[in-house]
Amino acid sequence: MIEEKIICIGCPLGCETTLKIDDQGEVVKITGYKCKEGRQYVLEEHRSPVRVLTATVLTQNSARPLFPVRTSRPLLKTQLREAAKVLTKVKVKPPIRVGQIILPNLMNTGIDVIATDDLLN
Amino acid sequence: MKFSDVDVAVIGSGPAGMAAAIKAKEEGAEHVLILERQEQLGGLLHQCVHNGFGLLYFGQDLTGPEYACRFVEKIRDLGIEVLLETMVTQISFDRKLTAVNSREGPIHTQPKSIVLAMGCRERSRGQLSIPGTRPAGIFTAGTAQRLVNVEGFIPGKKVVILGSGDIGMIMARRLSLEGVEVKAVIEILPYVGGLIRNEVQCLHDFDIPLYLEYTVTQIHGEQRVEAVTIARVDKNKRPVDGTEQNIECDTLLLSVGLIPENELSRMAGVALDPLAGGPVVDERRETNVPGIFAGGNVVHVHDLVDDVSWEAEIAGAWAAQFSQKGAFEKKGKIVLRPGRNIRSIVPQTISGQSDVTFYIRVKEMEEKVRLRIGDIYDRAFRVAKPSEMIKVDLLQKELNLLKGNPSELVVECQKGE
Amino acid sequence: MSQMETEVLIIGGGVLGAVIARELSRYKVDVLLVEKEVDFGWGSTKTNMCIVCQGGDTLEFRPEYHRTKLVWDSMPLMEPLCQELDVPFKRVGELALIRNNEEFGKFQKLKSKAEKLGLAGHQFIDQDTLRQMEPNVTREAIAALYDPNIAIVDPVRLTIALIENAGQNGVKVMRENEVLNIFQKGNQFEVETNRGSIKCRFIVNAAGTSVDKIARWVNSDDFVLYPIRGYVGILDKNLGDLIKHEIHMRPDAPGQMNILTPSVHGNLFFGTTMQPARRGDYSTTRRIAQIGLQNVRKIIPDLSEKDIINSFAGFLVFRNWEVGWHESVVQASRKVSRFISICIGYPGVSAAPATGREVVELLRREGLRLESNPKFSPFRKASPNFSKLSEEQQKELIAQDSRYGHVVCRCETVTEGEIVEAVRRGATTLDGIKFRTRAGMGRCQGGFCTPRVTKILGRELGLPEDKITKKGRESRILLYKAKELLGGEL
Repeated sequence: MIEEKIICIGCPLGCETTLKIDDQGEVVKITGYKCKEGRQYVLEEHRSPVRVLTATVLTQNSARPLFPVRTSRPLLKTQLREAAKVLTKVKVKPPIRVGQIILPNLMNTGIDVIATDDLLN
Repeated sequence: MKFSDVDVAVIGSGPAGMAAAIKAKEEGAEHVLILERQEQLGGLLHQCVHNGFGLLYFGQDLTGPEYACRFVEKIRDLGIEVLLETMVTQISFDRKLTAVNSREGPIHTQPKSIVLAMGCRERSRGQLSIPGTRPAGIFTAGTAQRLVNVEGFIPGKKVVILGSGDIGMIMARRLSLEGVEVKAVIEILPYVGGLIRNEVQCLHDFDIPLYLEYTVTQIHGEQRVEAVTIARVDKNKRPVDGTEQNIECDTLLLSVGLIPENELSRMAGVALDPLAGGPVVDERRETNVPGIFAGGNVVHVHDLVDDVSWEAEIAGAWAAQFSQKGAFEKKGKIVLRPGRNIRSIVPQTISGQSDVTFYIRVKEMEEKVRLRIGDIYDRAFRVAKPSEMIKVDLLQKELNLLKGNPSELVVECQKGE
Repeated sequence: MSQMETEVLIIGGGVLGAVIARELSRYKVDVLLVEKEVDFGWGSTKTNMCIVCQGGDTLEFRPEYHRTKLVWDSMPLMEPLCQELDVPFKRVGELALIRNNEEFGKFQKLKSKAEKLGLAGHQFIDQDTLRQMEPNVTREAIAALYDPNIAIVDPVRLTIALIENAGQNGVKVMRENEVLNIFQKGNQFEVETNRGSIKCRFIVNAAGTSVDKIARWVNSDDFVLYPIRGYVGILDKNLGDLIKHEIHMRPDAPGQMNILTPSVHGNLFFGTTMQPARRGDYSTTRRIAQIGLQNVRKIIPDLSEKDIINSFAGFLVFRNWEVGWHESVVQASRKVSRFISICIGYPGVSAAPATGREVVELLRREGLRLESNPKFSPFRKASPNFSKLSEEQQKELIAQDSRYGHVVCRCETVTEGEIVEAVRRGATTLDGIKFRTRAGMGRCQGGFCTPRVTKILGRELGLPEDKITKKGRESRILLYKAKELLGGEL
């Protein structure tokens, strides 16, 4: 039996919850939460913590040296650092509109990297 | 460009300024003019490449630039006039405004109403009197954010961050993703200064050591930062002898407080609230100077950009009304007074004759408290933290329940369930 | 590595080295001034309270000192000098607060001494007049001694102006040039620096906290210097109107001065607590900062820590520290000919004009031939200060160069045009821009303008932004380009 501690970020209280997980990897008990939304959040967070990656990429032929981008959907938390490295090689050129796909199917996740601003010049 | 006949002039085009200008135009002001000192609309939104913006306002989780784009598009569609790279240098009590830019030189205008939306500046090392040398490599977190996200430079590769405000934590994550070793976040309080969400997603996710109840007691390095000394602090926030440790680093970021930027407000004779940091305003966000309104971080530092825009819309709407109909009828004034464990309340005065939303900050974190406003509002909160603003909506009919004809309303945070 | 030759070598580009250079430029003399930092006045010149014409203050101890003569002789020279050089000068006057009879007695003595020695102007001010002159000052003050002579300047701007004027009149100047050793070769000196060697006949050693070290190289240190570090705090410009005069109160503890003064730019300075310290150690400590604030609150009770926007430490180099306030060093060496050392200590800027003349006289006595330079012009025009111009002048300036309409430093209203002009006149660093234009000296302390100033510096100097430094040498501001740490390339 192992214990995992997760802070719920559903509301300002930030309850520190404890999950008891059996040898099969099943969550058998959760303690420390104070509402059902919190319980749901920590379960999801335990199963598959995901995060949106927001970053910048380099530009070419532009007055701006950097351009802001994001993943269209959250990645697995564990993929963030590698994703940031992958983006190092990306260079974008104007014109770009907000929402445009910059890099489709990042690291074969089916998730795109999209523009979060316009790049007009 | 015509500078006469300006109905509403908005100073600043961040999430406050843009929202105020759009609202003013929508409420019937014809000639709305935005004066922005930077090269583009959006204020600090452009350097905030992270998400968390617009969850409430748009019901979507947007990045700073995405949030800005929504407003910029509307400004274009509505034909609101914009002056970029234009610095307002003076405002007078009778709304005479002077600005300057390279194209027009000095500009004079006397708009029918003004919305102050200048936002904040960051508290600097000089203000903290952090002992030690004066090397290169000390930045406030916001300045570092601009360098990293807009200018294309990374200040250093071993960073210590003083202060766990949101900007500090966001930069801890940002720098980590750019290959920087963030060696520690140092916080003087026993809890983080910003949102818990950021503690989890910026510090925990990246295994960044968080030192609570610590402070930086010395900076080392003659030419460039070489190390900082940190020490634990006691209940009075004073460093405890013998607890010092050195952390080797080449950069120190400071995220130790935002200060509403009110130099122009002062010039215009606008009265400021030392507790909130910005102008004393009523529920219309009008200041003591008729026709001068204020909204957003210039009034008080918000946690959420959504609130910044909503508040600025109030200012914009009433500024538009003022520009068309002139000064408002004075309908009575109730002053909000901060009681136990309350740091600030905005608006600081209300007429009592309309619905109002109060934005309240407590002084210290307390669990299991009751927030009371006079004898018309009493609600239990599981926790109240200085870093998370409390919003209270009161309807006019609730305000009508006030007994007698009070000239003041006390807001207090009491212990108890 | 180069070989240079000159007649008079001035070591040190602080206010003293600069004023001597300018005095010498009145004559047809080959002069080279070397400064080890990347810009001028970065030693004690930039870390003091900017007060001048301190004739009365020198009477605290030993009026028979040479120092007193230098300060007194400088008093009528300071304002005309600032006018010629187009630098700020403000005659604020000084009020020494009196809280009780004992203090009154001490100031009585001072006033009589002054009058006896021929320094006019001190007057006693009664309670009512004091309230009118300074309504915000503590109620504990029942009277004051008024010294109308005291004035304030910007010592770094003064130094830069002196250097520019000296340069206009033929003096050669080198920065980032540090003297490493001096050899005597017959009738000449051979001076080894980090940028080559310099042959010269006369040396003026005006190297501030390094004066004794340099004198030792030629066995000429017939004086001992003690570095004393003082602390100065800067208050927000919003409080600039709290006082009109320089105010001082007798310190309640030894080793302190309690002064609150306006600055020419609208801030207030307060200070200072003095303690012996290692040369070059400009670090400040929390305790010193707190003592400083405690002291100034005796003058203006309403001040709080929130009002401080920055603080700094600076060195006064004293002689005879054990005996009290020191005597200055302005002397030709007794052991080595044609070698003159200068170290005023306190009050240095106040003594500058007369010291310049005195050193020229000392050089003459050491054998320097002084033939008048008919092309000498005492006038130097400052670069435009946008925020101080009339609107007409601003319009004209913008019409000539539109960059004067682009405000870069919001707190001090400094335009791109001024920054470009400062680079043209020699600024190469962030601090150089700061001291020449005030960009970065306001309440946000460079938070808004630092990225922009760095960009402009890079552009004007033709350097990539990550090569720009805060104060020269290894103090680069930006260490890496985006993606560089992840293995990418910009």
